[in-house]
Amino acid sequence: MTQFIKRSFQFAVVLASLAAGPALAEGGTVSGRVEATPAKYLEETVVYLKGVKAPAKPQTHVMDQRNMAFVPHVLAVAAGDTVKFQNHDGVVHNVYSPDNEGFNLGSFKKDEERSYTFKQEGSYSQLCSMHPEMLAYVFVAPSAYAAAVDKKGHYTIANVPPGTYQVAVWNSRLKGAAKPVTVTVGQTATVNLSVKR
Amino acid sequence: MPASKTTVLRLALVASALALATPAAAIPAFARKYGTSCITCHTVYPKLTPFGEAFRRNGYLFPGVDSDYVKADQIQMGQEANKKTFPNSVWPSSIPAAVPLSIGANGTAQVIPSKTSSAGQAANGTKVSLQDLVGEGHLWAGTALDDNITVWAEATFGSDGTVDVEHAQLLFNNLLGPEHAVNLIVGHGFPNVTQYGPHSSYLADQLLTTVPVTAIYQGNPDPWTLVDNYTGLEVNGVIGGVFDYAAGLNAGKTNRVSATDNFYGRVGFKVGGMRLDGEGSTGAADALRPWAEDALGVYAFGYQSNARLDTGATPPAPVGNDVANVVGVGARGQLGSAELNAGWYQEAHNHALDDGGKVTAQVAFGELSYVVYPWLVPAVRVERVSLKPTGGTSASDLHVEPGVAFLIRPNVKLVAVFNYESASGFPTTGGGTTPVGWQGGASDWGTLLIAPPASGKTSLSEFESVGFFLGWAM
Repeated sequence: MTQFIKRSFQFAVVLASLAAGPALAEGGTVSGRVEATPAKYLEETVVYLKGVKAPAKPQTHVMDQRNMAFVPHVLAVAAGDTVKFQNHDGVVHNVYSPDNEGFNLGSFKKDEERSYTFKQEGSYSQLCSMHPEMLAYVFVAPSAYAAAVDKKGHYTIANVPPGTYQVAVWNSRLKGAAKPVTVTVGQTATVNLSVKR
Repeated sequence: MPASKTTVLRLALVASALALATPAAAIPAFARKYGTSCITCHTVYPKLTPFGEAFRRNGYLFPGVDSDYVKADQIQMGQEANKKTFPNSVWPSSIPAAVPLSIGANGTAQVIPSKTSSAGQAANGTKVSLQDLVGEGHLWAGTALDDNITVWAEATFGSDGTVDVEHAQLLFNNLLGPEHAVNLIVGHGFPNVTQYGPHSSYLADQLLTTVPVTAIYQGNPDPWTLVDNYTGLEVNGVIGGVFDYAAGLNAGKTNRVSATDNFYGRVGFKVGGMRLDGEGSTGAADALRPWAEDALGVYAFGYQSNARLDTGATPPAPVGNDVANVVGVGARGQLGSAELNAGWYQEAHNHALDDGGKVTAQVAFGELSYVVYPWLVPAVRVERVSLKPTGGTSASDLHVEPGVAFLIRPNVKLVAVFNYESASGFPTTGGGTTPVGWQGGASDWGTLLIAPPASGKTSLSEFESVGFFLGWAM
């Protein structure tokens, strides 16, 4: 009986692998690490690809307001994506941005939600007019192939169509040069970047 | 009262007044802000390294973008993006999450070899005086509100219960033109008449030797001197990293309403070593000796003080106005770890004598030091003051101070100073008939205090005391 269960499990794994195979084979992965000088600005960094032609379906993302802070602090989206701004605090918040075309979603109370569709590429400072200490960034990349770095500066951009692109980096205060990358199906290309004054 | 007793009383008054006036300038609040050691800016505090000088000169900001170097948690009073929405929002700033305060204490002990020396007389005949070992406590505050505006304050608490707000300044930096070119200081503090920090001395409390002319000749209890804390405005800056200037006006010792009529200005330049603003530094030639450089800084200054005299005597003495015009020059030369810091100025008072006459003071000072280790700095300081009253007898006083400054820890210091004083003549009051003791100097553990001997001799030399200064800050 035990042998039967073991063989059945192995068969299931093989089937699952076959089913997943085509999806994994659609693209490759670009990952790496960003170093920031000074390091304290590292978390306000987004890595994104330039030159990706593949069309993408607009996505919807969420940025919450909790404990008097925007969560996440940095959100990477693609042009045409929508962000739902939520308020889970007991106090009234506002969401506005003075950047690019600028927008103001007005005041919204606890558990209220308002959306904004970002059509223009670039970074948007997200502010709350009632609580000036609150700050977040929505970085609108040219495509969906973008990721905010983690606390150690690591990033991963998955399912990238094969091809040669530029890996660019955005930081709220620092600047860094782009680097070329060639993406191969099923492979991970490592690109490390740096940003500084 | 016999003249000798009067002299002793005056010496005691002066000694206590100077003890209360001792400013200090280590500020651990900045160490906390940047998460760095005192050694980043100081050798034996408050003496500044070239980087510390640049930090002070930049209005207590790091070269480059100050906020890049801040490690302490900050509370944002707004975001950078709020500048884009101005005037619909308030221009942003930040404050430190922890109140940027520091505390400290310092004082002096005196060993007086001879009870009959002037120091012995001033200390009531004792050979060892521990009375002022904890002479004062300090509360400092210093922080940046953004990358341009900083705050600097200091309150000193005397062991006798007095409280003196020595500094309370808002510094608006980088107002116009190139970086560091135009800064504005508003508030209460030292006029920047020297190119280097006012406490640029290993052995004394301040770089400049001062002489309280109206105190000597008229007994003025609150005389104007070149270095003191005054309320006013100052514009200063560094141009091209090598030229610097300061110009200001303040209320000085004038207590007339709306009379802010003291003016001063200074210009200077520096060749070699770190730029005056610290920008673009590639570090010291020897990375293990960051204080060392080969450099020469030269400056000249002028000052006009309009002081109202009120002797406070009984019966009331005539009240008048004394105008003091000051011109001076200074230079600091450094060759590696050796440094010579010297200066000279002339201070001409038009109403300093008790009969209303003029007095011209000439002051020269120099301090030669060598940083053997960052915690051990032997030095020798020489001060010479001469007084020339109109129609009276000129007198001069030489003060020689060899000593050693120790840094026991980055924030604990000990200074031992040997005080030798030699007077060639003494100032006189009472229309030129009564000799009185000398006053002034640059620290309360080494004041000018030599007094006229009872023998009537007009010249006197004394090895007066060994002063030990102990201070800490945190």
